[in-house]
Formats: sequence, C-alpha cells, structure tokens
Amino acid sequence: MKWQFSNDAPIYAQLIAQIKVGIVSGAFPPGERLPSVRDLATEAGVNPNTMQRALAELERDGLVYSQRTAGRFVTEDKRMIDAAKLGLAENHIKTFLLAMTRLGYQREEILDLLRQETTKEGITDGGSGM
Amino acid sequence: MLRKLLKHEFRATGRVMLPLFLVLLGTAVGANLSVRVLLDTPNKVLDILGGLLIVAFVIAIFGVCVMSMVVMVQRFYKNLLQDEGYVMMTLPVSVHQHIWSKLIVSAVWFALTLIVVGLACLIMAADVGVIHQIAKGFQELFRELYRNLTAYYAINGTALAVEFLVLCFVGCCAMCLQFYASLAIGHSFSSHKMAWSVLWFFVTLFAMQFLGGSGIVLLDETWLHHLLLGWTDNISGMTAMHWSMLALIAGEVLYGAIFYFLTTYFLKRRLDLE
Amino acid sequence: MAVLECKGLSKRYGHTQALDRVDLAVEPGRIVGLLGPNGSGKTTLIKLANGLLTPSEGEILVCGMKPGKESHALVSYLPERTSIPLWMTAGQLLDFYQDFYKDFRRDAAEEMLQHLDISPKQRIKQMSKGTREKVQLIVVMSRAAKLYLLDEPIGGVDPATRDYILSTIIGNYDPEAAVVISTHLISDVEKVLDDVIFINQGRVMLQSSVDQIREEKGMSVDELFREVFKC
Repeated sequence: MKWQFSNDAPIYAQLIAQIKVGIVSGAFPPGERLPSVRDLATEAGVNPNTMQRALAELERDGLVYSQRTAGRFVTEDKRMIDAAKLGLAENHIKTFLLAMTRLGYQREEILDLLRQETTKEGITDGGSGM
Repeated sequence: MLRKLLKHEFRATGRVMLPLFLVLLGTAVGANLSVRVLLDTPNKVLDILGGLLIVAFVIAIFGVCVMSMVVMVQRFYKNLLQDEGYVMMTLPVSVHQHIWSKLIVSAVWFALTLIVVGLACLIMAADVGVIHQIAKGFQELFRELYRNLTAYYAINGTALAVEFLVLCFVGCCAMCLQFYASLAIGHSFSSHKMAWSVLWFFVTLFAMQFLGGSGIVLLDETWLHHLLLGWTDNISGMTAMHWSMLALIAGEVLYGAIFYFLTTYFLKRRLDLE
Repeated sequence: MAVLECKGLSKRYGHTQALDRVDLAVEPGRIVGLLGPNGSGKTTLIKLANGLLTPSEGEILVCGMKPGKESHALVSYLPERTSIPLWMTAGQLLDFYQDFYKDFRRDAAEEMLQHLDISPKQRIKQMSKGTREKVQLIVVMSRAAKLYLLDEPIGGVDPATRDYILSTIIGNYDPEAAVVISTHLISDVEKVLDDVIFINQGRVMLQSSVDQIREEKGMSVDELFREVFKC
C-alpha cells in the first residue's frame, strides 16, 4: 500500500481513510489478519500511537475486529465492506460536486460531462476500482 | 563500573603506548648491535649506520617519556572534554570514577615507561665491554654510598628507597591531577578553552608555590618551628629523615587532593562541552 | 510518572538566558518533537537532562531523579554531533556499549549494522560522516531505555538516511519509553510525533498534540510553526 498524507486533516483521520480504501479495494482482503500496529506504523512512517488510534476507530466502526492474542482482522461481513465502499464513494462524489458547482456548472451539465468523460475513458461498470 | 572504565582506558591508551614500547626495545637492540659490531668496523657506511642507530635509541627513550605525558593529558582532554565527552560524561558512572580511571591508567603507564626504559638500557648495554665497566663503577659507587650512609647515619636505606619511590609515584599522580584540574577549569570557559587551560596550569602552579612558600615563612618562629626544633634535639638523624620523607609524601597527597577536588567540582558543576 | 519533567527550569550563560522558566512533562509512550529555530534552547534543554549542564534555577527530573549516573542508565542520548570514539571499530563500539549499559540489545545493533552493510571490523574513522551518524544512531536506538533524547537526529543527512532514521525510531517504539526529538526540520518528523513543544528564545510557546493542531487549526504543524515563527 502507498501511504500519502496531506497537511489539512489530522493524520489519524487520513490513516482511517486510507486503510478503508485498502479494505474496500482488496489490498486487505476480508477475514485476513492485519499487520501489527508497529509494522503498519513503520510502513506508513507514522507514529504508532496514531496508527493505534486509527485502528481503534475502525474497530469501533466494525470494519476490523481484534482477537485477544491473534491480532486484528479485516471483517468478513461483506455488507459492511460494501457500506464502507459506498461511504467512500459518496465522499468522492460530494467533493467532486462541490468543486463543479464552484466552477459554475448546473446539475444537468455535470451529468452530461460525466457521461461524455466516462465513454471517452472507456470505463464500463463492474470495474474493480482501485 | 570502575573496572570497565579501566579496561577501556587501557585499550585506548595501549594502542599508542605498547607499539612505542616495542619500538624502544627494538632501537635498544639496534643500539646494542651498533656498539658491539658496527662502530668497530672500518667501513664508513656501517659506521654512520651505527651512529644513527644510537641516535634513534636516544630519541626513542626521549619519545616514550614524552609520549606517556602527552597520552596522559590528551586522554583526559579528548575523552572527557571534547566530542567524546558527550558519550563519556553520559555513561552511568560517576565523575569520581572517571577521574580515578584516568589517574590509575596514567600512573600505570608512567611506571611501565620507567621499567621499559630501564629494560631498554639493559638490552642496549648487554655484552658491551665499556658500558659494563662504567655500570660496574656506578654500581660500586652506589653500593659504597649506601653502605656508608647506612653505617654513618644509621639510616635504613631500604626503607628510604621505598619512601622515595612512593614519593615519586604520589608526585606523579599529583602532577596528573594538576593537569586534569587545569584542563577542567580551562574548559569551563566558553571560548579559548585550551588557552585558559594553559593559563590555569601556571596559575595553579604559582598559587601552590606561593602557598607553600608563604606557609614556610609564616610558620617560621611559631609553635611549629619550636616543636620541630624541640624534636630535632630528641630524635636521631634517621628518624628525622623518615619524618621528612613522610611529610613530603603527605604534602604531595594534599597537593593532589586539592586538584582532585577542583577537577571533580568543575567536571560536575561547570562542564561546558562545545 | 513523567519520564522527563522540568519545573521552573532556567539556564543562563553569562548574560544570555538560554532557558527561561520552562515547565513541561513528557509521559511514557509518547514521541515528542522539541521544535524551535536555531538557538532557541533545544540543545540546552537536552544537555540539562543529560547532566552535561547544571540548571541556574528550577529543576529537571528524569524518571523522578536528578540527572546523574543513575539517570544516565535510563537515558539514551544522541548528541548533536558525532561523538563516538573514532579509533574504535564498529564491533568495539558495541562491546563498549554492552559493557556500560545493561539494557543494550547487541543482537538488535548487529542486525541494524548488517542491514546497512556496515562491517563490525570497519574503523569508525574510515567511515563517511553519514555512516558515522548512522552507527551512533544504531547504538543509541539499540538500548531499551526509558527516555531517548535525540538532538537533531535528521539534520544534515540525506533523505534516504532520514527515512531510515525515522523508521528506526518507529520500529523501536516502546509504550514504556518516551522519545524526545529536537529538530527544526518539522515537515519530516511531523507524522512520527504524538506531541510537539514549540520553544523560542528559551520559552515554551506551545505544547499540544499533532492531531489536535491539525484538527483545531486545520493546518500541519509545519505550517503552524512557520506562522508562529514568521520573521
């Protein structure tokens, strides 16, 4: 996984978002054991406490669960992963729409543009995303 | 922890001193060879070579003596007061242990230097007729002197010799501590640390001599003077000799103790590494 | 109990006030950035914690003790400049640390040396400046200390070495120990830190957690630093 951080949001929040992407995209498949906090922190180059906080938050959301001795695992609940996926998608769309309205586009124009762009790029449905 | 400090101190200094000792012993063998063989040949080249070997031997003796002093000063200064001080002064050992380790190691090297120089002279002199005769002369002179002194003043020569050696040893240590104290004081200044150290060496030297001198002057015609006078009437020459030797040793110990105190104070409280 | 604690700590050099009534506490398990421009008092603070200087006023405590030989056994200190004895080989340096520190993990040190392709037989004198710094960092991080005081660990090294140093710090994280990193290169260390302490002209200007700054101010610590210390 590639980790990247921006300056405007708390690092733990960015970690949560990126791990979610990892889970949704299958980089961390359902039911699989996550690397240890220390390994994840080293890989991402972040503070272990921050990584711990991000994972605890994901656990609260139910996307990962921990087993006392064995470590942390990605949930096997497909619906939950789909919900997370949808949530991420909604976020992307919201930012996109916000940017477009700021440029002065109307709803219909945006949809037209989107349609044009997707046929150009050759994006069909069922793509595996990221 | 003192043992570990000593171990590493010997490692650090040994890598300089041991090769020097080897060189000295080597030149002694060379000088011996030169005196016995080379200087006697009519061959000019061998003659010159022989001369050079003897010069090398003299330089080596001088060099080893100087180096043992240089190593003593330089170890303290480089290891505790320069960059390495950051590592050394944050080890889990006390300042006292640091000073003792430096002092003990220096003293051991001084003693070894003396022994090795003596050994080198013996090697140089082995099987050389002229030197043997000279040495024999000296030996007889000393023996005669010793016998006469012992007989005349009823001096216990052996005890005196031991006292003299102890005095030299304590004096050496006191001198080391004076170097240490000057360096520690000089390096508590924020700049020109070495210049201040040299200055402080002479300041302390002067101060101690002044104190000693004024002590003698001030004590003249006082109770001590009379006490001593009263003593000399009652004690024999030999006891007086012993007493004065012991007094000298005690004086050197006091001298060293003052500098020991100064060194610990400045290293503990006023250390200012660059 | 705080691993490092300063109470009204002041230090003067002649007429210069290097530290002015500093109060702070560092708890175990935290990685703390001591941030400030050059000459702000960072090194003075770290030297005081190591007993290399004595306070003019106030006190500084390491695990509840005044700096001394007992506290030295608990503190692992990386000085600003390379100060390991140059005449030793890397292996001899490990012997040295193993002799003096009970918490020295030799196997960890050897592994790190091997990872960087540094032979234990190589003399430190013959190493490049960057390698010497890495060797010193290795021995410092190979201790299982209670407090790590790292003075400018990433100043003057190339970006690859910088990454290596930071990942070594993360990889050695111990919830019982605290790490204090002094630096002026904030953007590089920001992600690694829990808390930051801004220090300027001997005074503590701000003490906060990195996420708190980002959450409340909506900017990175680096940006905030530039704003606070604008010239």
